[in-house]
Amino acid sequence: MCLGIPGRVVDIRDDQGLAMGTVDFGGIRREVCLAYVAGDIRPDDYVVVHVGFAISKVDEVEARRTFEVLREMSQLEELEWMREVADRSLDPLGGPAA
Amino acid sequence: MKYLTEYRDPVVAKALLARIKSSASRRWVLMEVCGGQTHTIVKQGLDELLEDAVEMIHGPGCPVCVTPLEQIDKALHIAARPDVIFTSFGDMLRVPGSDCDLLQVRARGGQVRIVYSPLDAVELARKNPDRQVVFFAVGFETTAPANAMAVWRARQLGVHNFSVLVSHVTVPPAMCAMLDAPDNRVQGFLAAGHVCTIMGWTEYEPIAAKYRVPIVVTGFEPLDILEGIWLAVAQLESGRHEVENQYVRAVRRDGTVPARNLVEEVFQLVDRKWRGIGEIPRSGLGLRAEYADFDAEIRFGLTDFTQEESGECRAGDVLRGQLKPFQCPAFGTRCTPEHPLGAPMVSSEGACAAYYNYGRFRQAHVATGTTP
Repeated sequence: MCLGIPGRVVDIRDDQGLAMGTVDFGGIRREVCLAYVAGDIRPDDYVVVHVGFAISKVDEVEARRTFEVLREMSQLEELEWMREVADRSLDPLGGPAA
Repeated sequence: MKYLTEYRDPVVAKALLARIKSSASRRWVLMEVCGGQTHTIVKQGLDELLEDAVEMIHGPGCPVCVTPLEQIDKALHIAARPDVIFTSFGDMLRVPGSDCDLLQVRARGGQVRIVYSPLDAVELARKNPDRQVVFFAVGFETTAPANAMAVWRARQLGVHNFSVLVSHVTVPPAMCAMLDAPDNRVQGFLAAGHVCTIMGWTEYEPIAAKYRVPIVVTGFEPLDILEGIWLAVAQLESGRHEVENQYVRAVRRDGTVPARNLVEEVFQLVDRKWRGIGEIPRSGLGLRAEYADFDAEIRFGLTDFTQEESGECRAGDVLRGQLKPFQCPAFGTRCTPEHPLGAPMVSSEGACAAYYNYGRFRQAHVATGTTP
């Protein structure tokens, strides 16, 4: 459950006082809260993301390597959730339960 | 794939294995307290490769597995209410409560949704102002900053139909509980890498000193784990008991300070029951009084609800290293991932599910001193 997935910061913005941004995980893009690393990152930096929050900055080489190891180990369950719920979890009640 | 190939270079792995084996003058007993590490160790068979030198005990490192029955039952109670949208990380949905699980509540018409981030649950509450949206806030220190932010954000934005059912646990008190047990066999620990990404390792220093055990902050990839084991064995062989950091690339001594600060703002230490182990003093996080408006237990009148565990699941013995999963009479027969008796068979990070999924129905050498 504590697994973190490395991804590349695409953009950073302020959402009503909270640092948010888009992070690219090997082609899948997801909204991520950047508040805990905000002072330390710029677009194109790599961050480790856990349940939608960047928890630390990593270098690109490290990020790519970890991502490949995770993919190889079939432990990208978080990524699967992302794929499944990214579009659906925010639907009003009419949407399918994820 | 270049880095993967380098990182998994079998020559490096073999060298580390050989170094651990040749330096071990006896069979040392180490515990990992991280479900991700448990998964890697069992999947890659690292424990079997090292069995002459090191016994690995798979400690209570899976938050899904240690969430107490009464918190699951509270979740089931809340999720069944017609005015509630109950949100959770996906791996909590199949954890058995006293009567059923969250998937079954959903099948009966309950609004149970998987969210990826706790902030998604806050957003869901904003979009459904006529519903109560409840988030099941479980996890270790790695997840606490995310869940703390959801509560902080709900208050900041005035989202009053949002609340959290909190069942947070923290790692160091569980390590102390293991070490304090009269039948303790653990001689050293691999500490969980991403827990320490948030928290750093200063709180482990007094534990290493008091109990005279090495504690190595370790990542979750195969070579990370082998290196962590090597560092712990080297300490044991030389009579040292220090905190070392194997996971240098992601962990600093003080952790991620802004994340720690928000956890401190929203949560406070509370006594917490661990499934299969019992109550450990000051081992959990609960909402501070200033955030009590967002406490689902208060909102839905469940603060006095208790539920004792019973039944044939021996998760506690597995988590304390007294029993290997395959030594449990129910393992693989009455308890399988499809029909789990207890949480360690549910989560892919649980020791029982890992043993089941990777065909560990027996082991060539069962630990000395381990009784079936």
